[in-house]
Amino acid sequence: MKFKKQIFGFMDMLRFTKLVPNRRAALAAGSAEPLPTEYRTNTLAHRLHPGRMQVEVAAVRPLTESMTELTFRRLDGDAFPFFRAGQYVSLQGPVEGGLVSRPYSIVSSPREALQNKLVLGIEDAGFFSHHLNRGVRPGDKFVMTEPSGEFHYETLRDRPQIICVAGGAGITPFLSMAKSMIEGDEPYTMTLFYGARDLAHLAYREELDALAEKGLKVVYVLSDEERPGFAHGFVTADLIQEHADINGSTFFLCGPKAMYDFLAKELAPYALPLKAIRKDATCCGALELDAPRTFTLTVHLRDQVQTIPAREDDTLLTALERAGVDAPNKCRAGGCGYCHSKWLGGRYRVADGRDGRREADRKFGFIHPCVTYPLEDMAIDLPPAE
Amino acid sequence: METRTAKAYDVVVIGAGNGGLTAAIRVLQAGFSCLVVEKHNLPGGFATSFKRGRFEFEASLHELNDFGSAEEPGDIRILFRELGVEDKIDWIRIPEAYHLITTDKKYDCVMPFGAQAFIDKMEEYVPGSRQSMTDFFALCNEVRDAQAYSSSVNGNTDSDYMKKNFPNFIRAGSYSVNEVLEALHMPKAAQDILGAYWCYLGVDLDRMSFLHYGSMVIRYITRDAWMPRMRSHEISLALEDRIRELGGDIWYHSPAEKILADAPGKITGVQLTDGTIIPTRHVIANCSPHLVFGKMLDPAVVTEPMVRATNARTFSGRGFTLFLGLNKSAEELGIQSHNYFIYDTTDSARQYDMMRKVDTNHVQATVCLNNAYPECSPPGTCMMYFTTMFMSDDWGNVSETDYFKAKDRVADDMIRVFERETGCKIRDAIEEIAVASPTTYARYCGHPQGVIYGYETAGWDSLMPRMMMMKEDAQLFPGLRFAGGYAMRSSGYSSSYVSGDLSGRQTAGDLKREVR
Repeated sequence: MKFKKQIFGFMDMLRFTKLVPNRRAALAAGSAEPLPTEYRTNTLAHRLHPGRMQVEVAAVRPLTESMTELTFRRLDGDAFPFFRAGQYVSLQGPVEGGLVSRPYSIVSSPREALQNKLVLGIEDAGFFSHHLNRGVRPGDKFVMTEPSGEFHYETLRDRPQIICVAGGAGITPFLSMAKSMIEGDEPYTMTLFYGARDLAHLAYREELDALAEKGLKVVYVLSDEERPGFAHGFVTADLIQEHADINGSTFFLCGPKAMYDFLAKELAPYALPLKAIRKDATCCGALELDAPRTFTLTVHLRDQVQTIPAREDDTLLTALERAGVDAPNKCRAGGCGYCHSKWLGGRYRVADGRDGRREADRKFGFIHPCVTYPLEDMAIDLPPAE
Repeated sequence: METRTAKAYDVVVIGAGNGGLTAAIRVLQAGFSCLVVEKHNLPGGFATSFKRGRFEFEASLHELNDFGSAEEPGDIRILFRELGVEDKIDWIRIPEAYHLITTDKKYDCVMPFGAQAFIDKMEEYVPGSRQSMTDFFALCNEVRDAQAYSSSVNGNTDSDYMKKNFPNFIRAGSYSVNEVLEALHMPKAAQDILGAYWCYLGVDLDRMSFLHYGSMVIRYITRDAWMPRMRSHEISLALEDRIRELGGDIWYHSPAEKILADAPGKITGVQLTDGTIIPTRHVIANCSPHLVFGKMLDPAVVTEPMVRATNARTFSGRGFTLFLGLNKSAEELGIQSHNYFIYDTTDSARQYDMMRKVDTNHVQATVCLNNAYPECSPPGTCMMYFTTMFMSDDWGNVSETDYFKAKDRVADDMIRVFERETGCKIRDAIEEIAVASPTTYARYCGHPQGVIYGYETAGWDSLMPRMMMMKEDAQLFPGLRFAGGYAMRSSGYSSSYVSGDLSGRQTAGDLKREVR
């Protein structure tokens, strides 16, 4: 075949020889104005995803005998980013020579974030949270990750009615979700079941009662105390069905694993699809081992190498934190992948049901240190925290 | 800020995207030291995956073209072989080329791989198209051969040799797709169906060079497309693994902030945002010239021609992708194809215009991965991803407080259009959902405005003159070359691997000349 566009083929050829001179001329004719240094979409990306933020405590308020509320303001920006109600931040600070982080659900609403206010409700339940409950004063400084996580409403996936079940300190994300609904940023109607031991352990009752007057439906459930106006016992399917439509709703659960297991049994007869029940992740803790051994973890961080002790019952992330290494982490549940690190050697085990790695990560030897325990001396290549 | 000087490298690659990873391997294979610095905590750039619930989503790859089988390899498989990564990856063959649906003319056409099968199928849909389609493939073959020759001589083509061996290539070379298809007397309906791939290049067929389109179509149709089993993350980790094997270094969470230079063409190092300085004289930038000349280099070493040449170029499409994990199988939902193109209109210039605005854009390139790889998600489920582009910075008008709702509006429209055009009802089956907007792409890869396709390959900046000026363009700032979507080969997986290959080998060549 002989291709020809113009009557004479040589005219087509001539056009071809002009391609380079034309481009050369066009490049030279570009504007001499300075190139942009900002792009709107990138500016918004940075606003929404600032990475790690420098924050300080603006206020401390006891909520119950075992729970404290900390209000933060951001020091390295005008305000916190807008986020999805239900998300968490990870708070990092020095404790006893280590550098410790933990994720906490945000109590305040996305609108409040824009006023440079971010509130966390912290239960005194472990190493770092004990410190946060006892030893923190206004003006104390921390590093905080940007709001993250998939425990939030999805308009295109979830039902317009949501049923939220909180166990104890698991109430925190639901305050944000309720406020966000009332502020018009979320389209759902919300029924909240809030289970606690007794009245003294119910945090945020005043706030929830106030939200109830604006459209939140809230049912308090006390397990160890009988009181008029409060349900007694556990959050059972019967109780839920009394106040909401189980089959016509999407569930959001936040609480201890025992609560998730109990509700799974209660809801089993309703044969809900997997998508109808969203559960907030819980931190991966230490293993219960008799006489755990201590191994050596060799940590490559860019061009630096150091060795640190790593206990058999601690995750690699905990070992890094104990040694004061500023290691990347967010969810501490194996899922977010922020601690993604290259495995270089040594056997390990991954916490049951928490292997959130991608398929190819397993093939090529990558690990999530937040859910990985050493079984012998190990070596990893760790990215810096940021 | 505290500064720490790390050890020196022959080459520092900025960005561990497809182009950067490939370039690093080429530098290392030539015996030079190389460090890759990457802002994210993963390699691959767009070539990655992410998990939601029981699904592992492919972040961007629809199919890898010009790959071919082990026995009849395409250029990319050959490149992967040379890089030493072909066997590190499990490959899956994509079953059919594409399923085109257009709202205006009600096309609903499933096109196969293989030139003969493609021509036969076209004759079925458009009787009387056979001759022009046969001519089209003959012309495309010549285009491919001419490009192979051009690459083999690094763009320094001999014009007499070209005229003698590739006369049709030259005669067609300055025209747009539509001009050439007209000249081939192709029936309009066949042109419409053949044009379906245009959104993969992001330029309408009135302005897209025929050479560019033809070379892509022939690579898809005759060498069929493949896909790694573990999503594109598998390719990225295989390339990463190879870099480590060859003694290269790769640093994550290490955004390069500055390229240090004493004078134009005199690079001295790369500085990270934390102040760390890595001495080097050669940089391969897997990012945009807009960032390099506008932000990373000191203005004192950026000359007027560099500014003019960068300003002259046009950003291509800003990406938007919806990912769905569905709790029913593709079969139950009636989703039959792997790869759908859904357009409002077959008039690509008009469609391009509609794509400028978020509200008037209804184009989607949609993949149901299970129809290529049934086991990619648990039994009784399937995964889909829907991609579109905005051909202006309209998305930049979205406010912070409207951001999540704005993403939902576009995603909602994508589902609506897919359901309307295919009759497959997917909405109630959504178990997991994720949405990537231009903001998301800007966040993870740093590209200006969330552009995913580099610079538009339209008119004067089309593929052929870019390739012919490869050497000249690199002279703009000696010691600095580009790889990835903004480089000479433009965007897309295969193109990015090729630009990484070219820039990696050429940088190694520069180093060898310096040694001599």
